[in-house]
Amino acid sequence: MHAAKSTTVMHPLLKVEAVSVRFGGLTAVDQVSFDVHQGELLGLIGPNGAGKTTMLRAITGVVHATQGEVYLSGAPLVGLPIERRIRQGLSLSQQLVKPLRNMSLLDNVALAAGGRKTASPLRALQHVSNSDELAVGMQMLEKVGIADRAHQMPGTQPLGILKRLELARALALKPQLFLLDEPLAGLNSSEARALANTIADIHQSGMTVVLIEHNLSEVMRLCQRLIVLDNGKKIGDGVPREVMQDPVVQAAYLGGDTLATSQSKVEPQHA
Amino acid sequence: MDYEISLLTTIGISVMFALSLNLITGFCGQISLGHSAFLGVGAYTSAMLTKAGLPFLLTLPAAMLLAGVLGVIVGMASLRVRADFLAITTMGVGFLFIGVVRQQEWLGGEMGLSGFPGSGLGKTGFMLLTLGLAGLTAAISLYIQRAWIGRVFNGIAEDEDTMRVLGIDVPRYKLAAFAIGTALAGAAGGLYASHLKFIGPDSFSFVESITVLSMVVVGGIGSVVWVALAAAVLSALPGWFQFIGDYKLLVYGGLLFAMMRFSPHGLAGMAQAVTRGGTHARR
Amino acid sequence: MFVLELVAQSLVQGSIYALIALGLTLVYGLLRILHVAHASLFTLGAYVGVLTYNATGSLALTLLAAMLVSGLSGVAMFRLAYKPLLKQPPHVALIASIGLFIAAEECFRIAFGASGLSFANTPLQGQVRIGSLQFKEAEIAVMLGAALILGALAWLQSHTRVGIACQATVSDPQMAESFGITLNTVRDLNFLVGSALAGFAGVWVAVLNNLVEPTMGSVPSYKALAIIVLGGMGSVPGTLMAALVLGLVESFGTVYLGKVLDRNAIAFAFLIVVLMMRPQGLFAKK
Repeated sequence: MHAAKSTTVMHPLLKVEAVSVRFGGLTAVDQVSFDVHQGELLGLIGPNGAGKTTMLRAITGVVHATQGEVYLSGAPLVGLPIERRIRQGLSLSQQLVKPLRNMSLLDNVALAAGGRKTASPLRALQHVSNSDELAVGMQMLEKVGIADRAHQMPGTQPLGILKRLELARALALKPQLFLLDEPLAGLNSSEARALANTIADIHQSGMTVVLIEHNLSEVMRLCQRLIVLDNGKKIGDGVPREVMQDPVVQAAYLGGDTLATSQSKVEPQHA
Repeated sequence: MDYEISLLTTIGISVMFALSLNLITGFCGQISLGHSAFLGVGAYTSAMLTKAGLPFLLTLPAAMLLAGVLGVIVGMASLRVRADFLAITTMGVGFLFIGVVRQQEWLGGEMGLSGFPGSGLGKTGFMLLTLGLAGLTAAISLYIQRAWIGRVFNGIAEDEDTMRVLGIDVPRYKLAAFAIGTALAGAAGGLYASHLKFIGPDSFSFVESITVLSMVVVGGIGSVVWVALAAAVLSALPGWFQFIGDYKLLVYGGLLFAMMRFSPHGLAGMAQAVTRGGTHARR
Repeated sequence: MFVLELVAQSLVQGSIYALIALGLTLVYGLLRILHVAHASLFTLGAYVGVLTYNATGSLALTLLAAMLVSGLSGVAMFRLAYKPLLKQPPHVALIASIGLFIAAEECFRIAFGASGLSFANTPLQGQVRIGSLQFKEAEIAVMLGAALILGALAWLQSHTRVGIACQATVSDPQMAESFGITLNTVRDLNFLVGSALAGFAGVWVAVLNNLVEPTMGSVPSYKALAIIVLGGMGSVPGTLMAALVLGLVESFGTVYLGKVLDRNAIAFAFLIVVLMMRPQGLFAKK
């Protein structure tokens, strides 16, 4: 898989089409549509309760979309269980990091890297060696900068390291589309900046990335495009600077987040 | 010599039975409280087929097949319910099995089956067969543990939601664990029937399911060697100490409780703590 | 009418199941632990009941003694067995509980013999006629007792500070603390009440059968587990309904399916069928 630097508008990598998610009487996501193009770094933002996480969950399949369709490279995802969507090319880095605790960081990533061998129990029965996957695992750990801890156990690691492990594991799946749910949550500002830079590097090496974040200063710095949700509806879609100056978006954030930090003139990293 | 041969045969069957549950519960983390039903399916299948004239050795594959099919069905049930419910559902399967068998006259009903032809191998030959199959089960278990399927089972046991996010078809793997584990239990059942020369619904009660679970738990969930050891010791215990026979259940119950209270990872866990071999809880 | 008799039988059975299952559901709702050993408190109550009644001849004293002993033993079980295991994955407590249950049954057998104990003069054996139905006095007593106690508990849960705080401890521990009730008190209380009820049920079953034997808790234990699953684990009203439904299913099932399945198998077959159709249980809200 490789991504061209220029965005191809003809076939978006991800197409979200009029997706609604209802829980009983509550509408968490209301007819939201957007596209994600190959090679983009897209931010999904909005005040608390806007429906961002629910939207992401509808894409990955954790939550069932009541209406609408989601296409990855043209293939419909709605109706497929999570693991099938992952195999189609999605990859998810979750907010609540959950490493497998009884194996080393390297083993965690190697397990993810074994996708070909774990496609079915029958195939998994026939393969024993994991030397290839260990090699891939080391590569991924290097990419996120924690290769020196490869043989350590997750139980002793600080949050920042576990977040990187989460990234490495998701990358080992060699996805077409990389979804990140609040990767910077819980990190202090310097840790957040460092992790954001790593995400930027991952993007620069050709990965298409969609991330949900509350940390608006980093979001403004990283993302090429922002989608803004409020009360389940899409209220903004465009270049960060323009989106954040939209009065509708500003009104939505009043009383909310870290809007103050976004109003300082921060140049986004990519044009 | 006769007594030792019989004891070794009993041990062989118990080890095989315990290792078969270890695949489902130990490797893959699915708590089954009804595993004796599969022993029973294998036992009745083998006994009925030998009664019908089939040579004993040929009845074993049939026993495995039938037990495995039932295992997949039960496995599919396990997919629909949460982990807490799974334990009770499997317990229900166990009761259902004996409840059905009890009422079927053609299966011997309440009185059970006896007088079916033996293995034709003689006492020593049969013992060797049993020990050989137990060894084979251990070898299969060790292979599975080292192969990719074992890695996936291990992950599922710890956190199946995360495994799904890593693209693993968790339901299929659970079914695979049930299929393999119950098929092996079925084979053990065939041996069991031939060894005891009599089987009835009470041979496969809830107590049997608990007994085999206690072997897996005491051994240390997941460890092939320690589970085999625990099975061997626990099954031989009533024979070695006559007075234990009467207190057998008290010992099992007490052991289960004590193990969970003081060393939830069983003997394997204690061994690891002693050798300071790191925090790998499952190998 | 035969059907009416079956229904009456179901009510009696259902009342007993409900009394036992309540303790189980309280514990599950609070701690997410399947307290299999709960049924041993039922058996304990029965033993204490027979011994006390044979010694004193007073039914009131008997019930009190049984409830007290069972109740306190239940709290002891919590403190010694479950509390240390709260941080472990759920299967650890489940297996520990099973071990405890088996050990308890064996202790009863070793202490009191396998053939069991009986009343010297079984109380409340007189017959009562209601309409066309014949009941033993004891059967009326257990149904009334169940209705009164469970009704009172349901009222307490929604109308008193203690009751509301108990419910809050599951969903919102901090709010419960603001009521002046600590988490530990609530847990102790749940075990106390649930276990006392099991002891209460034990006495009545002993009276109805005029027999107390070590394995009498086994079948109720399994059935109670099936009931709380059916009722939607942790829901008190759900459990009560499920207990009654199971009583009905067993009574009618045995008549019509008795040739194919025995009574216990019918109960579990019902459970399995229900779970396949509604994995969350019959009466669960979610």
